[in-house]
Amino acid sequence: MHVIRDLSAWVPPQGAEWEPEARNLLEQFSSSLYSAQTSDYFLIAANDGQLIETWRRLPDSPAVSQARILFEQLLVEDQEDQPGVALRFFNLSRGSSAQLFDFAVDAFLSHPGWKLCFEGENGESMAFGPQSPIRRNYELLQTPLLQQRLRDLLELCDYNDLHIPIREILALLVNAVLGHSGNTCKDHIMVPADVTRIIAEGSVAKASIYNNLIGGNLRESRRESIGVFNYLDRFRLGHETTNRIDSILIFGEADEALQPYYDQYLGSDTFYGADASYRKAQSDYVESADEDLSNSRFLEMLVVQRRALFFKIPANEAADLHLWDLTVFRFAGEYLEKVVRTVHPTIKGRVDRHIVSRLVRGLNRVIVGMLINDDRKLCLGTSLQSTGAKVSRIYEDSISVVPSKGERVEIVWHGNKPALQVTLSEQISEVFPLNLVRYEFLSRVAEGALPSSFSKECYEDVLSFKSRLLTALKKRRKAEAVEGDEFILSFQRLRLDENGNPEHRTIQLNLPATT
Amino acid sequence: MPLMLMPMPLPFLSDSDLLVARPPKGHYTRMLFWLDEQIWGHRVYPQTPWLMFLECLTVAEYFFREGSLLQEPDSYPALVYQPRRRMRLRNILWNNELIKSLEDEKLDSNTTWNKWLDWMKENAMHVTDTDFSYLKGRFERFSDFAFLVGMLRDASVESESNKRWTSRFLFPFGANAIYEDQDLKGDRDFNNFTRTGELLYLMLCRSAAADSLRPYLHDFLKGDNEWNQLLTVLEREPEKGDEERKHSYLPYKQHPCFDALGQDWLNLFQLGLPNFDVLNHLVTLGAFHVLLYQLHVAAEWTGKAEPLTFLCEVVAPKKTLVREVSIINFQENNGLSGDAVQAYITRIQQSDAWQQALQLLTPADVFDGCQQVLQKEIWWDDAADYDRSHDPDELLDYLREKAQVRHQQHAGEVHRTLGRLIGLVSRRGTNKYRYAPTDGLLKTLIFANVPHRMELKEFFQVLYSRYGLVFSEREASLVIAEEEYDPKPFAANAARLESRLNSLGLLRRLSDGCAYVINPNGQSSQGHA
Repeated sequence: MHVIRDLSAWVPPQGAEWEPEARNLLEQFSSSLYSAQTSDYFLIAANDGQLIETWRRLPDSPAVSQARILFEQLLVEDQEDQPGVALRFFNLSRGSSAQLFDFAVDAFLSHPGWKLCFEGENGESMAFGPQSPIRRNYELLQTPLLQQRLRDLLELCDYNDLHIPIREILALLVNAVLGHSGNTCKDHIMVPADVTRIIAEGSVAKASIYNNLIGGNLRESRRESIGVFNYLDRFRLGHETTNRIDSILIFGEADEALQPYYDQYLGSDTFYGADASYRKAQSDYVESADEDLSNSRFLEMLVVQRRALFFKIPANEAADLHLWDLTVFRFAGEYLEKVVRTVHPTIKGRVDRHIVSRLVRGLNRVIVGMLINDDRKLCLGTSLQSTGAKVSRIYEDSISVVPSKGERVEIVWHGNKPALQVTLSEQISEVFPLNLVRYEFLSRVAEGALPSSFSKECYEDVLSFKSRLLTALKKRRKAEAVEGDEFILSFQRLRLDENGNPEHRTIQLNLPATT
Repeated sequence: MPLMLMPMPLPFLSDSDLLVARPPKGHYTRMLFWLDEQIWGHRVYPQTPWLMFLECLTVAEYFFREGSLLQEPDSYPALVYQPRRRMRLRNILWNNELIKSLEDEKLDSNTTWNKWLDWMKENAMHVTDTDFSYLKGRFERFSDFAFLVGMLRDASVESESNKRWTSRFLFPFGANAIYEDQDLKGDRDFNNFTRTGELLYLMLCRSAAADSLRPYLHDFLKGDNEWNQLLTVLEREPEKGDEERKHSYLPYKQHPCFDALGQDWLNLFQLGLPNFDVLNHLVTLGAFHVLLYQLHVAAEWTGKAEPLTFLCEVVAPKKTLVREVSIINFQENNGLSGDAVQAYITRIQQSDAWQQALQLLTPADVFDGCQQVLQKEIWWDDAADYDRSHDPDELLDYLREKAQVRHQQHAGEVHRTLGRLIGLVSRRGTNKYRYAPTDGLLKTLIFANVPHRMELKEFFQVLYSRYGLVFSEREASLVIAEEEYDPKPFAANAARLESRLNSLGLLRRLSDGCAYVINPNGQSSQGHA
């Protein structure tokens, strides 16, 4: 058994020769991958780049280059093994961030050091006493609701192919408890010595865990440089909202209908809810002119409060208050609950018909480039020039959504995420992996709006899926063609009727005799 | 393979094996003198990439018909061909505003047909007879005909740039869609088809990849698709064209640029892209290689020692060092072709013929002798407007000015204009030109250079060695003088490219600074290293 713990130490510096021993061992490993009998076993830990670079630097031989191509393929295509190769390949950066979070938060909270802080004499001190934001944040981090919401966000990152390493999850937890958005703490992180001053100057609200969780306490450039905060930032928490949410936050105290919500989410939270500075800014805002400069301070507070709401609204009120409208992914909640947690291999459930229909309608609109309303069939159209043309005016075929003559459209589990599977016949099908962005994109298109912020990439993705579907259709036609059939030149014109349903008319041509 | 160019001897001083004999004098009219053309060929103009491509196809279509695609005859004249005119089709498609309004009138099919046929009888141009009634029997309804004509019209190429109907072009579905540009009188002019497309065809003929390319180009022209077939339905009978086009001239029998062009086209064809998706990429790289050809030949003539490079900015929100050096780099490259023209004149001055003329007895003989050299070498016959002294040096200075002005009007525009049109050159965010490739160009480069996937660093190397494009700090360190080199801005530049390709779905990032460029249309994953 050979254990290589630090691969980079084995590679000679640029220009230097390989140590014969190191080189031989790695060559031995390379050949052993494809040999059935070996008495040597290897355990190697390395980073992605190191792995490729090491095998690039090794003197070339068939076994070495074969191994390099293998690693490349396993890495780029997210595979764990390959038939006939004696290798298990665990790509830790492809693990579930949500699962990592479960382990991390548990370890973080149960660390014995916390007891020393909060129990006994220290527990009475300013730094760790009942008024301390550090203590408050630590306690809030223990609440199941907050943990669940944060975990949902991380899980959604997983399904967006954004992978978060464990050290960044730990950084997130530390920042959640110790973050402070004021300028008085070094690096925007509180140390116990800061706490007395923070309480005295009344800037406890700036330590709000709800803001810290997504790196809101950090400067923008710093936030962008840390993967996990960069990813979480893409949810635009705090910047997305609804009229109802903002009404609660701004007018809730004085509005009879909204007051219960206000009390529940802001009034009762003496720490990070409506404290004195919030109430003052709020009343200034309501009474001031629009362009008043002092309003910007209140607007910043609003951002933090919206973030707080995202972590405070309980599951049973999530639908009523449109919780996920607080993010840019309005369909994220549905995606998690009704798609991911329904078709997951451990559950094997079926996704609601209306969800499949909505996605099909979205696909139809992108594929055909017209405002199609049909969601019972997937409509395939083409145009003249490139596959990428915006509008298709030639009808090719349509695929039934409900199972019919071997055709169907359904949501299945594919690899590590859900996918829309289009089956054209027993042998021919194509899948469109549904990451969160694509799911949101298709759902919004189906509802009639094209969100420009993330549409370009998705649009291209759908068009390349369209091109694969057209190739599949060609394959089916070929398989179904009867030999000796006469060639007829014909076109099918695609139009929408007044209800937005596609209709097509066949145009047949009489070829001139000479051709 | 880097484009390491052999220094080329001057055509009028040597009869090297690498050079094509220049055509006899007198082919070309309306020309002051023949100079740029001897350096780059007759001729390299800033033609738009699509028109260049279409002109190239009109040549290819003829040789496809003749069964000698991409085979250049050994003897001069190199290129004689008879392009199609397809005036019936073009009348139906482009000289025909009535067709849409008729459809809106919603009359019965028969009445509409008759109205339309009557109108065509009066208005069709440049056809021997204006009877289009054969169409009626080929379509069930007039509206079907009008719909398909509308589809074809929408698939026109370069429709914004051309107003006259005789210069509107159909998307090339296959050989039936290809025809020559005409002026409104039905004659050839050189406004759109400037002959640069003819040179592009010759470059392909002379590229090392010509044989491999032939079957692909053949299949494309054969046009086994319903749209190409539809066009035969619109024509009455196959056209008999007999007007000859000739006198194009490409001076070099072979050149690394021709090989690179052929290889890129071959790579693109081999991807087997669906529908007609390959064409846009062929167009872009066709024009890019013409640009590269012009600059490389210019570099050879001027004796430029350093390799030709393009420092590319991946557009940053703020001004960066990369942008600054790219602006300077652009300006240097942009002056290169003009320098080549001057170098050419210097070589005349250094030639034996010129030196011998200087030895003649009287100043009048000297001047006369020098003029004769110029007549012989650049066909400058009409020096009538030369009103300065009979000093040969002054004559040459005058020629230098004239030649530079003439150069700037056409060939001197190639680098900037083609560069802009293919998405290499941009002024975005500044008032000065620089190299800032668009997403479209990057995509095309990936399609042509990444068979399936390639490590980003290797991709940078390939772009550098094949085209001279510089993005990352590694390549920048090779071309920027050490005292001016700063790796940081180029590393940031490379990182911006990485995230841009990522957002286009053309890159897969692994952890730890390792990323792969992905060609989504590339061959299956069981690829080779």
